[in-house]
Amino acid sequence: MTNILSPPTLLAAHLAVLSSISFGGFPTVLPDVHDFVTGNGWLTDREFADVFAVSQVVPGPNLILMMSFIGLKVGGIAGAITSAFATFGPPCAMYYASYRLWDRYRDRPWQRIVRRALAPLTIGLVIAGGYVMARATDVGWPSLAITAVAVVLILRTRANPLWILIAGGALGGLGFR
Amino acid sequence: MSQTAEIGSSADRVALSKLFAAFLKVSIWGFGGGLVWARRVVVEQSRWMSEQEFAETLTLCQLMPGPNIAGVAVCVGAKLRGAIGTISAVAGFILVPWAVGLSLGTLVLQHAQVAVLQNILSGVSAAAAGLLIATGIRLLRPHCARPAALLFAGLAFAGMAFVKLPLLIVLLGLAPLSIGATAAGAIRP
Repeated sequence: MTNILSPPTLLAAHLAVLSSISFGGFPTVLPDVHDFVTGNGWLTDREFADVFAVSQVVPGPNLILMMSFIGLKVGGIAGAITSAFATFGPPCAMYYASYRLWDRYRDRPWQRIVRRALAPLTIGLVIAGGYVMARATDVGWPSLAITAVAVVLILRTRANPLWILIAGGALGGLGFR
Repeated sequence: MSQTAEIGSSADRVALSKLFAAFLKVSIWGFGGGLVWARRVVVEQSRWMSEQEFAETLTLCQLMPGPNIAGVAVCVGAKLRGAIGTISAVAGFILVPWAVGLSLGTLVLQHAQVAVLQNILSGVSAAAAGLLIATGIRLLRPHCARPAALLFAGLAFAGMAFVKLPLLIVLLGLAPLSIGATAAGAIRP
């Protein structure tokens, strides 16, 4: 690499660009991050997969954490901090500006129509996210059963989601998968 | 309820520490995506937004790049307390969980190959997928009376889940159609 920039700076710059175009959340740009990080020889495929899995189970803002784990490997704790800022900084500024703009026109009829029209799309996407995740972890009928029971429990009871997750983990740990 | 909850009036202003604590909770409990918790905390427990308003805010966030749940923190903070509210909510969402998660994760990563750990991880993901699906179904309930809403929710689902189209394509393709259908429905008495 003949780059003048240090790897942590390069990584942060790349993440800042990606986070600014990551429509639908950061998962959509994961393939790009993967190619960039492994292409530069900073992480192996295996390490990338582990970092992803762990960031999903560790409590906290998952994808910001995932980028921080990558930053940690690339440039120590300073790399972790800059990666985190590059991942959430630019989008948060945009969210704020657009919410303000959106809120100003809240009572206009056209906005009510747009809001009522767009909400179902979002909801469809949320359910699709759950479906895709269920398929990704699907290693047999037991894991499908865990997913189905979780759906029913949330809809039919006021059970705390945390217990459902713990129960899922316990069943998986006992080999129910 | 005699008092109309006028948000922003100094009497029932939400404390910044409450915003911080609420999104700290969303973040810490938010295994495999914080949406489930964001809805639970913002709509059910704190009643800062109605089911409808939450879905609309989420839509706005999903139309924008970035981590959508952080976007919900930005919007809820901005709605209740303006810029300073946004900073409190986002700090609650990120600061403590980030430090805890980074330390815990570094520990786990050193043992990532252990088979039992892998099994536990997949059990947790399966349950998390179920939580996400159920949250979507709950958000859909206020729209059940409108067939067009159900149709477009179904199309968005199918486009992502089965056809595996890029998200931007799904949104750009369906949004104008859905807006057209809703506008037509609004004009007709």
